Amino acid sequence: MTVKRIAFVQELLKFIGLEGRLHLEWISSAEAQKFVEVVTNFTEKIRAMGPNPLGIETVANGAMKYGHN
Amino acid sequence: MDTIKQIEQLILQNKVDIFLGYKDLDGHLIPHGFTKENLDELKDLQISDNRYSLEKVATHLTEKNPDIKIGIIARDCNKRALNLLYTWNQLNPENIETIDVNCCPSPLKSHSDCSYLEPRQSGEFKKENGVDYNIEPEAFMGKFDNNERLTRWMYEFNKCIKCYGCRNICPVCFCKECSLEHPNLVEPGTLPVEVPIFHLIRAAHMAGRCIDCGLCEEACPAHIPLRLLYREVNEIVSNVFDYKPGCSDEKSPFSVLGGDVVLEPKPMDFKYKEKNNGL
Repeated sequence: MTVKRIAFVQELLKFIGLEGRLHLEWISSAEAQKFVEVVTNFTEKIRAMGPNPLGIETVANGAMKYGHN
Repeated sequence: MDTIKQIEQLILQNKVDIFLGYKDLDGHLIPHGFTKENLDELKDLQISDNRYSLEKVATHLTEKNPDIKIGIIARDCNKRALNLLYTWNQLNPENIETIDVNCCPSPLKSHSDCSYLEPRQSGEFKKENGVDYNIEPEAFMGKFDNNERLTRWMYEFNKCIKCYGCRNICPVCFCKECSLEHPNLVEPGTLPVEVPIFHLIRAAHMAGRCIDCGLCEEACPAHIPLRLLYREVNEIVSNVFDYKPGCSDEKSPFSVLGGDVVLEPKPMDFKYKEKNNGL
């Protein structure tokens, strides 16, 4: 059920334009190596994508072409 | 008119205690409950393309008196809403009588009584900067990249005046406690509303529940294309969970209600009735 719920949220975020910022992974407490890999990869992915666009004023205002505030 | 005779019969034969329809009041059609006591009001009953969530009125009446028998004017969207309310135990199908009215347009019919035949039109500015009412979710995804989708939705969401009209009109909003009024999720008494979270909360709640009647979009004073958003969440539910609300006898497998969540639907049990008798 979790995998489906997360799939739902991922699709919803994708639709409104926040794709790729939610990740789900199963990691056992015995899989330290996997944990490191997943977290590192995801961190790098997010870093490459840049900061949350909602923090950027023009995006958060929904003003793209006309720049009205 | 034939339909009015039918309704009169339902009331006279005690098949319904109250019939929910629309009454002409000084040229305005308002939702109205017709009863045996005021049978002469039936002459003012009108069937037109005016729409209101009469099912919601029915759930409110049922909350106070679970045994009340209700007649209701029903188009396709009303029937989907009723079906969904049955599956969530908000209404009892045995207590509901429907009178069907014209819905889908066809050359074989003289007319149809539905307003969504003429979709709302988007202006040039909205098409340029926001989200077109009439775009299909798939086309929207194909046309705009990730960033542009976000900017466009933020343009729409930012117009929200937090009037709660979308929730209040919604025939399938029936939670005892509303997440949109939960102080931990939505700060009470402040404007502007926090976006996009306010709209995403509602979108998540509409998943597997929205019956695509379009009343929220009609009600929205800020012209936010809510129907499109909820259409998309239902599409996701359909793809991920293989469920279509309003057409199934079962509750949605995806739900933010249920489990140990406190947002349970209102009960229709006797205790609840007792508690509310004083009202």
